[in-house]
Amino acid sequence: MSAAESLTAAFHWQSWAVFRRNALVFLRNWRTAVIPPAMEPVIFFVAFGIGFSGYIEDLDYRGAQMNYATYVAAGLIAYTGFGTPYYEALYAAYVRMFYQKTWDGILATQVELPSVVWGEILWAAVRGMVNISIVCSVIAVFDVIGVVDVKVAFLVFMPFLGFIAGCAFASFALIFTAIVPAIDHMNYPVFLIGWPLSLVSNTFFPIDPQSVVLRALWQINPVYQLAEAARGLLVFGDPGPHLVGLLGSTLLFLVPCTVLSTRLTRRRVLGE
Amino acid sequence: MTSAILEARGLTKSYGGRVVVDHLNLDCRPGSVLGLLGPNGAGKTTTLRMLYGFVPPDEGAISYEGMEFSKHRSEAKRMIGVCTQEDSLDYDFTVAQNLFIYASYFRPRVENLDRRVAELLARFELTPYADASPHVLSGGFVRRLLIARSIVHRPRVLFLDEPTTGLDPSARLDAWELIDGMRSDGLAIVLTTHYMDEAERLSDELLVVHEGRDVAHGEPHRVIGDLLGDHVVVIPRHEPARDRIETWLQSRGAQQVATVLGELRVPVSKDDLLALSAEFEGATWQVRPPNLDDLFIALARRNGRIR
Repeated sequence: MSAAESLTAAFHWQSWAVFRRNALVFLRNWRTAVIPPAMEPVIFFVAFGIGFSGYIEDLDYRGAQMNYATYVAAGLIAYTGFGTPYYEALYAAYVRMFYQKTWDGILATQVELPSVVWGEILWAAVRGMVNISIVCSVIAVFDVIGVVDVKVAFLVFMPFLGFIAGCAFASFALIFTAIVPAIDHMNYPVFLIGWPLSLVSNTFFPIDPQSVVLRALWQINPVYQLAEAARGLLVFGDPGPHLVGLLGSTLLFLVPCTVLSTRLTRRRVLGE
Repeated sequence: MTSAILEARGLTKSYGGRVVVDHLNLDCRPGSVLGLLGPNGAGKTTTLRMLYGFVPPDEGAISYEGMEFSKHRSEAKRMIGVCTQEDSLDYDFTVAQNLFIYASYFRPRVENLDRRVAELLARFELTPYADASPHVLSGGFVRRLLIARSIVHRPRVLFLDEPTTGLDPSARLDAWELIDGMRSDGLAIVLTTHYMDEAERLSDELLVVHEGRDVAHGEPHRVIGDLLGDHVVVIPRHEPARDRIETWLQSRGAQQVATVLGELRVPVSKDDLLALSAEFEGATWQVRPPNLDDLFIALARRNGRIR
C-alpha cells in the first residue's frame, strides 16, 4: 500500500461508509455523546473567561483592545477544535479497534485499511465541528448579553475551520492509537502532548516567543493557527495570515501523520 | 464436476523468519465444503486470512472465478463472505441494524436490502430479536448473527473460521444445518474447525495442514485412511499387559503409538491386528476405524506436543 493510496483513500466510498457507521452510533447516543463533553469548554469559558476577566485588564490584540472573555472565546474554539478530534481518535478509536473489534469486522468486507483510518479521521473532525458549534452557540449568547464582543456572523465559519484542523489532530492521535500497548498508556499522548498543546497555543493567554526557533514552531502548530484565525475573524472579520497558516500547518501534519498512522495500524491490526 | 471458484497455488507466509504456511494449494467448488484441519499453530487461520485478503501472501497466487485476487481485489472481495472466529458484532446497533450496516460496506450495493435482511432474520431465527441489542443473544444466536451477517451481500465464497467453537451440542447441530443449507444454495465454503465430527460430517473435501504444509487432502474417510490406515487399537490403562503390548507393537514397526490419559491408541494394519489377537489372547482391547482425533494426535505427536 503506497503513501498515495493511503492519502487518496479519503475520497473513497469506503472511508465514508466507515464514517457513516460512526455517525449512526453517535446519533443513537447523542445525548450522552454530546452534552457532557461540550460542557467542558463552556465551563472553562465561564471559569476563565468570565471569572478571570474581572482581574485582568483588557488585552491588546493586533492594535485593538479587548476584554479577556472576548480573547478566550476564540481560544475555546481552538481548544475544542483540538481536544474533541484528538480524544475521539485516541480513546474512542482505540475502543473500536481493541475492545469491540469493530475494525476487524469491517476489514473482513470490501473496505481496506486506509479507508478505516480515513473514516476515523473524518469522523473525529466532524465530532469537533459538532462541539465547536455548541461552543459557538454559547459565545453568541454571551455576545448578546454583553459579556463578549465578537462578530457573531463569523461564528458560522468556526466549525469549518475546526474540521480542517481536526483532520490533522485526528491523524496525529491515530499514531498513538496504533502503538499504545494498553489504554492506560493513552496518558502519555494526553498529558504530555494534548494538555500542554491545548493550553499554550494562544488559547487562554497570548504567547509571544522571543526565540526564532519557538516562533517557527508556533507557525506550524495547527492549534495556534486555529486560535489566531478564529480570533482574527471574530474580532476583525479578518483572519490575517492565519487561514493560510491553518491550511499549511494542517497539511504539514495531516500528510505524514496519515501515512504513518496507516502503516502502524496495519502492523497493529493485520500483523503486517 | 463444476470448476473451482476459488483456486490458490503455492501460498506461503512467514512471520519473524518462521514459515507458517508453506506452499499450500487448494481449490473450492460451488456447493461444496472444504475443511481445513490441523493442530493449533498449523497455519489454518493464516491461510484463511490470505484467502480473504486480510493479509497478503509472501508467495503464491489466489484467484476467484479466474480473476487474480491481487489485481481484482475489490471485485473478488465483493464475492467473499467472512465469518471470523472472534465476535466482531457491532454492539452499538440492534441485530437487524448489524445486517444493514454490514451491507453498506459492499459495492455494488446489496439489492432489495430490506427484503434480504428480513429473509436472513427469518432463516436464522433471529426475527424475534431484530430490534434488540446483540447483548441479549445467547452464544448460539450470536454465532447465527455472525454467519447471517457474513452472507448479507450474497457472496459466492464463504469463509467460516471455527464457526461452532464454544457452542453447546444443540447449537452446534443447528449451525451444521445452517452450513449444510448454505452449501445447498451453491456457496463454496471453506471451513476451519477443531471438531473432528464436524469436519468429517460437513466436509466434502479435507485439507490437513501440519506446520504450514499440506500433509493430506481428499475425501475425509480417504484422508484418514491414507495417514492412519484402516484400524486403530485402543488398549485401556487398566489392562495388565498394556506395557508389553506397547513394546510388542513398536517392535513390529508401529510408529504412531499415542497415549491419551493412560490409554494406548495405535493405528495398525490388518496383519498386525491378527497377530496381536494371537499374541495377547486374554488381553482387553478394542478396535475401531481411525478418526480425526487419531489424526490430530498423530500430527501433534509428530510436532512433539504429545508424548
